[in-house]
Amino acid sequence: MTALADSARRVLLLAIDVYRHQPDTARWLHDQLRRLDEPLRVAIAGKVKAGKSTLLNALVGEQVAPTDAGECTRVVTWYRDGTTPRIVLHPHIGTPRPLPVRRHDGALEIDLGATSAEECERVVVDWPAQSLRTTTLIDTPGIASTSKDVSRRTVAFLDPDDDTPTEADAVVYLMRHVHAQDAAFLEAFRDQGVARATAVNTVAVLSRADEIGGGRVDAMFSARGIAARYRADPTVRGLCQNVVAVAGLLAQTARTLRQAEHTALAALARTARDDLETELLSVDRFLRAGRDAEVTTEVRDRLLARFGLFGIRLSSSLIRQGADGPAALATELVDRSGLRELEQVLHTQFAERRDVLKARSALLAVDSVLRSGDGTGHHQGPLTREIDRVLSGAHEFTELRLLSALRSGSVTLPKRDADDGERLLGDAGASPAARLGLEPGTPSNEVADAAYAALERWHRHTVNPMLGRATTDACRAVVRSCEGILAGLGTLA
Amino acid sequence: MTSDPVAVVERARAAIARYDRPDLDERLAAAHARLLDDRTRVLVVGEFKQGKSMLVNGLVGAPVCPTFDDVATAVPTVVRHAEALDIALLRPDGARTTITGDELADHICEQGNPGNREGWSHAEVGLPRPVLSGGLEIVDTPGVGGLASVHGAATTAMLPSADAVLLVSDAAQEYTAPELDFLAQATAVCPNVACVVTKTDLYPEWRRIVELNRGHLAAAGISTEVFGVSSALRWHAVLHGDADVNAESGFPELIGYLRKRVLGQADRLARRGVVHDVMAVTEQIAGNLLAERTAQQDPAAAAALMRELTEAQQRATALKERSARWQQTLNDGVADLNADIDYDLRDRMKEISRLAEDELENGGDPAKVWDQFAGWVQQEVAAAASANFIWATRRVRALARHVADHFSDDREQLLPALRSHPSDAIRSVRAMVAPKTEDKGVGAKALIGLRGGYSSMLMFGMLGTFIGFASAINPLGLGAAVFMSGKAIGDERKKQVARRKNEAKAAMRRYVDDVTFQVAKDSRDRLRAVQRDLRDHFTAQADQLKRSLLESQQATERAVKASRAEREARLTEITKQLEQLDLVRKQARALLPQPATAAKAAATATATATAAVAGRAG
Repeated sequence: MTALADSARRVLLLAIDVYRHQPDTARWLHDQLRRLDEPLRVAIAGKVKAGKSTLLNALVGEQVAPTDAGECTRVVTWYRDGTTPRIVLHPHIGTPRPLPVRRHDGALEIDLGATSAEECERVVVDWPAQSLRTTTLIDTPGIASTSKDVSRRTVAFLDPDDDTPTEADAVVYLMRHVHAQDAAFLEAFRDQGVARATAVNTVAVLSRADEIGGGRVDAMFSARGIAARYRADPTVRGLCQNVVAVAGLLAQTARTLRQAEHTALAALARTARDDLETELLSVDRFLRAGRDAEVTTEVRDRLLARFGLFGIRLSSSLIRQGADGPAALATELVDRSGLRELEQVLHTQFAERRDVLKARSALLAVDSVLRSGDGTGHHQGPLTREIDRVLSGAHEFTELRLLSALRSGSVTLPKRDADDGERLLGDAGASPAARLGLEPGTPSNEVADAAYAALERWHRHTVNPMLGRATTDACRAVVRSCEGILAGLGTLA
Repeated sequence: MTSDPVAVVERARAAIARYDRPDLDERLAAAHARLLDDRTRVLVVGEFKQGKSMLVNGLVGAPVCPTFDDVATAVPTVVRHAEALDIALLRPDGARTTITGDELADHICEQGNPGNREGWSHAEVGLPRPVLSGGLEIVDTPGVGGLASVHGAATTAMLPSADAVLLVSDAAQEYTAPELDFLAQATAVCPNVACVVTKTDLYPEWRRIVELNRGHLAAAGISTEVFGVSSALRWHAVLHGDADVNAESGFPELIGYLRKRVLGQADRLARRGVVHDVMAVTEQIAGNLLAERTAQQDPAAAAALMRELTEAQQRATALKERSARWQQTLNDGVADLNADIDYDLRDRMKEISRLAEDELENGGDPAKVWDQFAGWVQQEVAAAASANFIWATRRVRALARHVADHFSDDREQLLPALRSHPSDAIRSVRAMVAPKTEDKGVGAKALIGLRGGYSSMLMFGMLGTFIGFASAINPLGLGAAVFMSGKAIGDERKKQVARRKNEAKAAMRRYVDDVTFQVAKDSRDRLRAVQRDLRDHFTAQADQLKRSLLESQQATERAVKASRAEREARLTEITKQLEQLDLVRKQARALLPQPATAAKAAATATATATAAVAGRAG
């Protein structure tokens, strides 16, 4: 994999040399070079009120992104790993300036001061957090479905997605429960400007999953079922790698659970079961029941804001089942919120592919400079050839493109072995075991046996005269992947 | 004395039976049928997964519409009153299949019947529930998934046939622009529109959302009521018989609104129609009797009366001529409307074409985003077609009112007391916009929009052809790009992209043209139907008038020839018959509680012989 990163670096250096007389372009290319070594950039996008900031907080494990019942995030905000907390505002015009770092009730406050959201290009937050070390998270304003220029933006989507460099390497798209066939669903995937979505670098999240089931205790169970159905839906498959159901609010709260909250929930759990159920019929009832109760109305109000009805129902039931202590409760809640599943998916889909995604971003950047064609035509020959060589030579890109094409349905593998083929191409993870559908830690001789079997299976497909040209080519790519696995095993042995 | 409109009509029919006037009896029979079949349709619309089916279940207090986290309604369901539980599926041609409650979910949900590929027109559920008595009919519609979308257009086409619309959205979020646009369209063609904010049990901020929504409505100049409801609480209340929870659910207010406002208004309209028909018919019969009485009392004056009656009859005949003012208004109006609606449609479509071409020209490779682009064009076209439809509906109604006014003015010269209320014309047009479906059984006309509205069936068909093209262009683009990407940088790619851009433009233009053509044709057909119906409606009335005047003439002639003894006997009988008619008229008037209308009606009733005759003559 590092070979690919090296190739990308070589292309970038060559490009910087070609464009050394154009300071702006050279500086931009330098940025791209630096970016190769930075953590993967993951943008969190979606419609207004989909719960983007909440999910970001859950992933970070701290309340760094402000959240509110109304529309809240108005500026693209980057969250990077840093040694000390620092907030810097980058305006469209003028020099970046630092903003005060203030926390209120455990939550970070970002005050733009006199600058309006429109003047602001981005806000960059440096924050010491374990989870940010491998990934830089980018919070985006909601895709405003209320604005009149929605149609305009839709058509602006016509800009080529595969060939434009993007600021984010991967995208997590949040959506509330929607109809797989309707236009609103596609709208959830519309371009956000920061990151261009393709099927290979996008994961969809069914956010606010607890609300789908009306906040019942088994709500997450049915939300997972819905996510599974979406995963199997051809429309959705063409748009993203995976669909995961996450109860964002619950995940965020679980990650930042406080002792006092556990105490209050424990007190609620001591209430007679039927009484509590009646109290929890509606938010109004729950608040009203606090009038002369041990848990006061103010505390209940806070609990509602932090947990939601679903969180309170679930927590009290978990505490009754023996989750004593905030740590135990937090673990249970994180498990049930679907956050771990999302982290796992992000790991296999993004982190394991980090180098490919990074190299892709870098090469796209150089390609766009080349195609914008500002004046240095005679130097471009070697550079173009080099990009072509890397793009067509690196099997990782072939895999990525083929996966994308398979998902869009424009290329198909032999039906019987389609899932097997996608897995071999690295759809479920890039490790040999994951590609072969084996448990992690399988002995290497077993892996090799499986890889030989796969190689033989797919070689047969390539010589099948009944398959079309595109399918045969796709099968050949799968064979290459099998060979790659075997080659990798060979070096290990 | 009764206040039941049906009984009043039946009495009026009995009272005129002896006069051998099948034309007038037919008019009352039609009024009678309308009363028996009069349903008040409430459309429950909204985006996907907002709790529409839960709301319907809550309203009727029974689990009629299947609801679950992952269940979506695909076929509209009409819930109405019946003596016993009765569930049926209907085909667009009216064929009915009775099924059991368990089977319903398999047929009307997205899961069992994705995209309604079984092709049902709608499902009907009859329930013995008091809330539905009085003709309330609740229609649960499929989630529209973007009110500006294709499904949204189908819903829009149903609007003119609805008595009330409930826009459902949950308390998670305030209104979006499409929802507000939809509300504006709905209030333009539907007499009662209310907003329902659901799931108030789940969201602590629901009061704020309701307030925000009120603000949006006020800013958009839409005045409707907003109800916050919780179906979960209502359901709990239904299961446990808990009155407190029921009160908290917000349903009592909503049901009160439906019964008082919506049903009340429909009932008032129905009563007004009945009073109008009964008055008109009895007036004509009474007119004959009064003319005859005048002649019997004073044979010398009969000659003058005859002359006046002849003139009035000629004028009544003239009402049927094309040169009559109402006819001219109708013909000119339809011609103008045709031109205007067509222009409006073409203008909207041209704008879409232009915008789409711009974007294709300035964008990149169309093959890569063809699906999104096709979706966008479809959505815009559907939105334009439904906006055009709503606008056309309003104009048609205005025209109908205009024609009715003219007819009344013209007729007033004959019989001033019979001036019809403008709302009467709207009623008749509403019935006319719909295809005639009386022969297909009650309830078949419930979903006029789905059957007759061009926006639904037609556009689904049209849109299909557009998507079909998408698959034709796609493999060309993506499939080739996968393996050629390395070499493709450069001229060859530019050439390919340019070619695909042209193909995409041509496909888009063809599609927009096809839709425009079909929609325009449908518009014209609809207008023609309206024209024909209005003409027939008013011509029939002119015929009735003419015949009444002819009978008055004959009665007058007979009176002149009669002997004295015959005359006295006849006079007694006329007085008796007039009293009977007067009784029917009093009962009819009692149907209308409003003092203003009552006073007007009273004035009509006390019209003396001279007034009536002078009116007809002058």
